[in-house]
Amino acid sequence: MSDSPPEPAIMLRDVGLTLAGNAGPVDILHGITLDVARGEALGLVGPSGSGKSSLLMVMAGLEPPGRGSVTALGRDLGALSEDGRALFRRDHMGVVFQSFHLIPTLTALENVALPLELAHVGDAMSRARGELAAVGLAHRTGHYPAQLSGGEQGRVALARAAATRPELLLADEPTGSLDAASGQAVMDLLFDLRARHGATLVLVTHSPELAARCDRVVRIEDGRIVP
Amino acid sequence: MTLALRLALRDLRGALASFRLFLAALAVGVAAIAAVGNVTAAIEAGLARDGATLLGGDAEITLTYRFARPDERAFMDATAARVSEVVAFRSLAVAGGDAAVRALTEVRGVDDAYPLLGEVVLDPPMPLAQALAGRDGTPGAVMEPVLASRLGLTPGDRFRLGARDYVLAARLTGWPDDGDGGFGFGPRLILRTADLAGSGLIAEGTLFSTLYRLRLPLGTDAATVHAELDRRFPDSGLRWRDAGEGLPGTEQVVDRVGAFLMLLGLAGLAVGGVGVGAAVRAWLARRVTTIAVMRTLGATGPVIAAAHLFQIALVTLAGIALGLALGTLPLLLAAPAIAALLPLPAVFGLYPVPLAQATSYGLLVAALFTLWPLARVERIRPAVLIRDSGGAGGWPRWPWLLAIAAVLALLVLAAVRFTGTARLTLAVFAGIAVTLGLLALAGHATRLVARASRGLARGRPALRLALASVAARGGATVATVLALGLGLGTLSAVGQIEGNLRASLLAGLPRAAPSFFVLDIQPDQIDAFRARLAGDPAVRSLEAAPMLRGIISAVNGVPAADIPGAPWVLRGDRGVTYAATPPEGTVLTAGAWWPEDYTGPPQMSFSAAEAETLGLHPGDTVTVNILGREITATVTSLRRVEFQSLGMGFVIVLDPAALAGAPHSWIATLTADRAAEARLFDNLTAAFPNITVISTRAAAARVAEVVGKAALAIRVAAGVTLGAGFLVLIGVAGTGEAERRRETAIARSLGASRRVMLSSLVLRMALIGLAAGVVALAAGFLGGWAVSRLAMDIAFHPVWPQAVAVVAGGIAVATLAGIGLALGPLNARPASLLRARE
Repeated sequence: MSDSPPEPAIMLRDVGLTLAGNAGPVDILHGITLDVARGEALGLVGPSGSGKSSLLMVMAGLEPPGRGSVTALGRDLGALSEDGRALFRRDHMGVVFQSFHLIPTLTALENVALPLELAHVGDAMSRARGELAAVGLAHRTGHYPAQLSGGEQGRVALARAAATRPELLLADEPTGSLDAASGQAVMDLLFDLRARHGATLVLVTHSPELAARCDRVVRIEDGRIVP
Repeated sequence: MTLALRLALRDLRGALASFRLFLAALAVGVAAIAAVGNVTAAIEAGLARDGATLLGGDAEITLTYRFARPDERAFMDATAARVSEVVAFRSLAVAGGDAAVRALTEVRGVDDAYPLLGEVVLDPPMPLAQALAGRDGTPGAVMEPVLASRLGLTPGDRFRLGARDYVLAARLTGWPDDGDGGFGFGPRLILRTADLAGSGLIAEGTLFSTLYRLRLPLGTDAATVHAELDRRFPDSGLRWRDAGEGLPGTEQVVDRVGAFLMLLGLAGLAVGGVGVGAAVRAWLARRVTTIAVMRTLGATGPVIAAAHLFQIALVTLAGIALGLALGTLPLLLAAPAIAALLPLPAVFGLYPVPLAQATSYGLLVAALFTLWPLARVERIRPAVLIRDSGGAGGWPRWPWLLAIAAVLALLVLAAVRFTGTARLTLAVFAGIAVTLGLLALAGHATRLVARASRGLARGRPALRLALASVAARGGATVATVLALGLGLGTLSAVGQIEGNLRASLLAGLPRAAPSFFVLDIQPDQIDAFRARLAGDPAVRSLEAAPMLRGIISAVNGVPAADIPGAPWVLRGDRGVTYAATPPEGTVLTAGAWWPEDYTGPPQMSFSAAEAETLGLHPGDTVTVNILGREITATVTSLRRVEFQSLGMGFVIVLDPAALAGAPHSWIATLTADRAAEARLFDNLTAAFPNITVISTRAAAARVAEVVGKAALAIRVAAGVTLGAGFLVLIGVAGTGEAERRRETAIARSLGASRRVMLSSLVLRMALIGLAAGVVALAAGFLGGWAVSRLAMDIAFHPVWPQAVAVVAGGIAVATLAGIGLALGPLNARPASLLRARE
């Protein structure tokens, strides 16, 4: 009798993605097979246009793959409807975008509280306040995104992604639009959050230093994993 | 649900400004409906308040040419608590001896019961009975001050009416039964009917009416009495009117003004809906990223749709409240001025029914125009965050389609109820659907043409940008053509109808009118009358015809009351004449005239235009009630008749044998040199004291006054609607604004000057405006034709200046608004726009 290995947090099998372009269909991803272990920090690197962000979107269920299967925490995302995937993200995932995508009409506090409210968490506001304090923004709760600096917006986006204590944290170049100091602070926070909550992290980055902080690095070129 | 509401409230807090167009457009639509409803309610209240008094009783039974027979009078006496008999006719009052002065007057012969309601006010003050009692054996009369001064009379003076003398007892300064006050042709004179004996004015065949006013016992249902009257005296020619109905002579004015107001309401509604739709699309276009983020965070389609639905609902309520205020308060504030414009009594106030009606319209229109774009919200995919795809396209899911269909059905039902005519309402909705289809085609065609014309843009960056923007797949071209075209088409239709309605009213004013109408020429006087004028060199033409009045009681055996649409020719009595041969100038459009010596079963020649509205053809039968006798005749010919020249125009001509023995008088029209008019007037009235000579100059002036008032009211109302509609078009110019803002930023970062960008914007609007304008012109003409012909029963001619002005003006307004919206991005540094985008 032997122990079976634990199921990966994310499991991609022969994933392909083709999008319609003005000049005809464009192949973005080709037969990607990849496992991300639970608790692992995985870095996705590669040149611009290689398909890293698209791969992350497919993992997050934000983009359904054209071929192959995506399993996250044992759930086949392809079998879920658009709403089913939204509910899955609500309960299990946090996503951070390069341009953060804070909702401009909501304050920092309300942005962070939104996923908690969507999950029907009773004390959403007070928990959101705690999350903002944890990223050093307790004094900025009532500010709108337009009133925050780029680094502050990145911290609010992190707080929002971590608010529901997700098992999966997916981040798409979260420091890409920040200066070195702000970028460093945001990344410290990201790895700190991941360490505190024991989440699985998938990080798209151009930065070799950031990639070096991950447990494993996968390189993507022209939509394929290269050794 | 509470989560969605919370999200909605939170979102609204920061986004109220983006709902300005939505609020304005909805408020315009609701205000139009509320205003129309308020004016209608005010008139109804005015009629309810003054109706019975204006009518002279709770009900009035009118007879033409005769008094009530004993059995008819017995019925009235048995039914009513009190009855008053009034005889009405026109005559000439004569004052002075050799140098006599004559003036036309509306005579009312009354009994002791008059007036049943209200009071007659005399100067010097005295009871009416005392005034009419007379002096020294001469009967008394009272007349309006204008008539007294025209005749040079003061109280105590004598004057003549027909062949009898009367004494002016007092000036008549006020009387209650003024239902026909605005439509009479002369000042009023009141005397006792009994005192008309010996005047020669009420002879057999002269033109007079008798009006029996009934004061009904409390709790009596007027409709029941009416039904009983019809049952007891089916072929008597009795005409009934009660205080709940319109007033004598006002039906056509009320019908047309009512139809026009209704149209303004529908137009306001359609244009408001266009604005609402454009506003919601623009708002949602700006929300795509936020919606995608919400989906990323785990919000489901229903939660997102509900949050947006709540926002729309809250803004809708605010827009409706604003619209109700706009459609009510100005009317209340300007009530006296508006009441003076209306030809009917009106009591302005807060009426719940029109406000509730406007509210329900606002809700339905907002729902109809927002459900489709909202349905696409749940289709927005989060992938839109990484690339500009995954936006909402395609058809909404079936529950949304079902909801949209239900709202549309409710709106049609409500509109049918509001306008009271299913045919016109369905025609309007069908017209809107066809117009939308044509506009969609025009929009796509414009895109294709723009794409195919790219070669023309070589070396012309402004044209290249304009063509690229128009040709862009998924761009705002089709949406803008739809919104602009529907708005312009509706406003253009309003312009067409206003132009045609005014033209039809003004066409009623005589151009080549005869100098005089002469009424009440007795058969034994007609030869002498002709002979007297025959040798006069000043007389240019004389037409005379026997004149009877009759009521069309059945067509092809179908009672007039059962004929749908109630054409005007079936309402009230019509002039009827007879002729052995076609009168001079007769143009037959179908059939043939009867032989000169025809003595067979009655035959009839009918006015061609009126025959068309009744669906009459040669071979059909028409039953006319003349002097209480039913004559059923076969229509053997149709004639072209001009009613609008104040000349003689008979709808019905019968063969002479059909009317043999019927007592009647003759009517004549006389055209003479203007310089000789006064002499002829004096000459004729002296020779034939019983006849009534009406100068058409005075009559035309009176008509001009009434028509001028109505035309002004119509112009003001249409002007307000056009102005409000243009406001909505300013908002439509904002369609696709976000897209153009980005184009501007990118083009400017590549070195495009502001002049190039402005030129490209104007070119783009010109291309889109051309496509929308051509369809709008056609839709405006079609809509104008449909409402003019189907609802108002007036002639339609395209009013080109109006059409071009409305469409070109609308495109200019939208272009200027587009330039205004573009000035911000044009003056900003491109980097800031591009940064904001990222």
